[in-house]
Amino acid sequence: MITRSCPSCGARYSYPIDECTFCRVTLVEQPTESGEVVAVTEVTVPSLGHEDVPYWCALVARPQGGFAVVKRDLPTTVGDTLSFSSAEEGVCYTIGVLGSGVMARGLVELFLSRGQRVVWVGRSLERLGVAREKVIGRLGRVMDEDQLARATARLTIAGDQNALAECDLVLEAIVEDTDAKIAELKAIEPIVSDTCVIASNTSSLPLDVLSAVLEKPGRFGGMHFFNPPTRMKLVEIIRAPETTDETDAFLFDLSLALGKTPIRVANGPGFVVNRVLMPLLNEAVRELEDKAAPAADIDEAIRLGLNHPMGPLALADLIGLDVVVSIMDDMHARLQDEAYAPRPLLRELVAQGKLGRKTGAGFFEYTPPPNP
Amino acid sequence: MSAYVIGVGKTRFGPSSHPMPRLAHEAILGALTDADMSINDVGAVIVANFLGGPNESQLHLGSVVMGLFPGLHIPSWRVEAACASGGVAIHQAVTMLGAYDPILVVGVERLSGRPGAEQTRNIGMAGDVLLDQSQGLNFPATYALVAQRHMQRYGTRTRDFELISLKNHENARRNPLAHFHHKVVTQADIDAGATVAAPLRLFDCCPVSDGAAAAIISRGPRGGRGVPILGSAVGTDVISLAQRDDHTSFIAARVAAEEAYRQAGITAADVDLAEVHDCFTIAEIVAMEDLGLAAPGEAVDLIRDGQTALGGSMPVNVSGGLKAGGHAIGATGVGQVYEAVRQLRGEAGDRQVAGAGVAVTHNVGGVGGTCAVQVLGRP
Repeated sequence: MITRSCPSCGARYSYPIDECTFCRVTLVEQPTESGEVVAVTEVTVPSLGHEDVPYWCALVARPQGGFAVVKRDLPTTVGDTLSFSSAEEGVCYTIGVLGSGVMARGLVELFLSRGQRVVWVGRSLERLGVAREKVIGRLGRVMDEDQLARATARLTIAGDQNALAECDLVLEAIVEDTDAKIAELKAIEPIVSDTCVIASNTSSLPLDVLSAVLEKPGRFGGMHFFNPPTRMKLVEIIRAPETTDETDAFLFDLSLALGKTPIRVANGPGFVVNRVLMPLLNEAVRELEDKAAPAADIDEAIRLGLNHPMGPLALADLIGLDVVVSIMDDMHARLQDEAYAPRPLLRELVAQGKLGRKTGAGFFEYTPPPNP
Repeated sequence: MSAYVIGVGKTRFGPSSHPMPRLAHEAILGALTDADMSINDVGAVIVANFLGGPNESQLHLGSVVMGLFPGLHIPSWRVEAACASGGVAIHQAVTMLGAYDPILVVGVERLSGRPGAEQTRNIGMAGDVLLDQSQGLNFPATYALVAQRHMQRYGTRTRDFELISLKNHENARRNPLAHFHHKVVTQADIDAGATVAAPLRLFDCCPVSDGAAAAIISRGPRGGRGVPILGSAVGTDVISLAQRDDHTSFIAARVAAEEAYRQAGITAADVDLAEVHDCFTIAEIVAMEDLGLAAPGEAVDLIRDGQTALGGSMPVNVSGGLKAGGHAIGATGVGQVYEAVRQLRGEAGDRQVAGAGVAVTHNVGGVGGTCAVQVLGRP
C-alpha cells in the first residue's frame, strides 16, 4: 500500500501521481508495511463485489501519517497491528503446470493474474509458445502495460521437465488418461525438490492409483479446477490415502489465495460435481435420442427451469465430447451404474470427430471453430 | 446578489412506481403552483440526481425534463455531488442568478426496485473506488467507523443514536410527505433491529426512497411569500476517511457553515431550526457539531435533554430528517429547502416550529466529501 508525499510542503496524496500540485516537485513514495487499527466495523450487509458477510473494515493508522481502510475476513480489534503486505500482495509461489490444453492454459492465466510464478512444461515448445501468446493476449484485456509486463516476466515455458526443479507446486493438467498421468508423475518426481507438492487436476480418476507410483505419496493430492478456471469459483480438494495434512492445507489455502472456494471431497468416482453432472448430461443426450425436444430447446428448458447458466448439451460441447465419454466410461466401470454408460449418440458424435466446441461441431455447430 | 425561494414543491418520499419524469413533474407543478407562475417564465433548469445512470440507465436528465415542457428550449443540466446533489444544485442556482432568473431546481431519484446488494454497491460509488469500495467500505460501514471514532473520543453512546432515531421517527409522524409517516417506531422496534455495520443497527440507517423536490430561486421576493436565502455555500474535502486526519467532524461542512453564516451575518446561536443530513443517526450528531449548534462532543447533551425535538430549544430535523422523512438522494437537499421554506412561512402545520425566523439546511455528499449549507430567513 503506497501513498506519496511532497518533500517540500508535506502534502500527502493517495493517487498514483508524480508531482505535487502546489510545489511542482517530484513526490516521494511511502510504502506502508503495517499500521495500527484505530476503528473497526463488522459489516453484515452484502454489496456487489463483497457478497460474503460478515467481514470487517478496519481504519488503520499509517506510521508516517494518514490512514487506510483495510478489509479483513477475520475479526480484528482496535490496537491490533495489521500488515498490509500480506493483505495486498498475498503469497507468491512458483507453480509448475503440465499440459498445454484448454484447461492448462486457463490455469496458467489464473495463476499469473493472481501474482504467482509459473513454469509451464509441455511436450512441444512450439505449441506452448502459441499458447503463451494466447494467455498474454487474454491477460492484456484486464491488465495495463506495467501489470502485463510483470505477469509475463513471471512466466517461463519449457519443453524439458528439468525446469520444474524450483517449483513449490507442480499441477498436472494433461490428458485425462491414467497411464499418461502415471508416466508423467513418475518422470517429474525425481526432478522436483523434496518439499514440492504435486497435485493432479484430474476430474474423476482415482487418486490412490496415481499416488501409488510416487516415492513420497504424502506430498500428492487432487486439486480439481473447473473450466474456465479464471471464472469458476470452485476447487475440489481431494485427499489420496497417504496425503499429509500439510499437503491438504497447502492446496486448500492456495485455492483461497487464488480467490477460489475450495471444498474437500472424498476420493470417489467423479468426486462430487462430476458424479452429479455426468448422469445429467447423459440424460439430456437420451432426451435428444428420444426426440423429447430439439437440442436447443432441451438446453433452454434446463437453463430456465433449473436456473443453470448453460444447457447440458452446450456444456458437454464445451467440456469436449471425447472427455465426457472418457469420464463416463471410467465412472461406469467403477460404479457399475448404467446411468453413467455413455449414450450411443455421444459415442457416435465422437466417432464422427464431432468433439464439441474445440472441433467446431458437437450437439451444436460453432462457426468459425475457435482455435484450440 | 440577493436570492429568494419563491416556490417549493415535493412528492412524498418513499417507494413509488412512478418513473423519474413523473416524480419530477409532480414536484415541479407543486413549485409552480406555490409560486403562482408559469413554466414559461422560468429562465433555466438544474436537475439534481445521483444514481440515474447505475440505477435507471438514465443520464442526460437536463434533457429528459424538457420532455415535461415540450417546446421550451431554456438551458437545463444535471448536477451530481452524491447525496449533496440537491444542496449543490440550490447553491449553483443562487450563484447563477446573474445569468438566468428565475431558476428551477428539481431534485429527483429512484432507488427502489434494485436488489439490495446492487443498491449498496451503487450508493458506495460516493466513496473512493480504490481506497473505500475495493475494501468493502459501503456507506453503513463508513459511518460506523465515524461512530466508533466519535464514541472513542467523546464517550458518545449507542443510546444517543437510539434517541435520535426515536425523535426523527416521531417527527415523521407529523409530516405527511415523510417516508415513514404511517409507521410508529418504538423502542421495541429499535431493540429488534439487526446490526448493519457495528455499532450501527437497522434503525440507525435512513431508508432509500424514491421522490422529487423542486424549488424556484429568484433575484426578487415576488410578492410577500419569497423566502430569502441569506447565505449559501459549498465546502469540499478529500473523499475517503483514509485521506483525513479527523474522523469525527467534516471540515467541508464546517467551511460551508462558516461561509453561509458570514454571508447571512448570523452565528449558530441565531438558528431557530436545522434540517441536517442524518443519513445515519451518528451523522446528526456530527452535523450539529459542524454547524456549531453544539460544541464538539456536546451535541449529545442537547439530544439527551430533548432540546432537539419539536418544542425544544434547538429543533433538528422536524421533517423527520433523512432517517424517517426519507432519502431520495438527489432530491434530499432540495427537500430540506422545501421544509425550511414551509417552516419560515409558518405553513408547517402541527410540526411548525414556533417563531421560526432563521433556518439552516445541511446536505452532505459521501462521508463529508461535499457539503452544502443554506441559511434561510423569514419572508
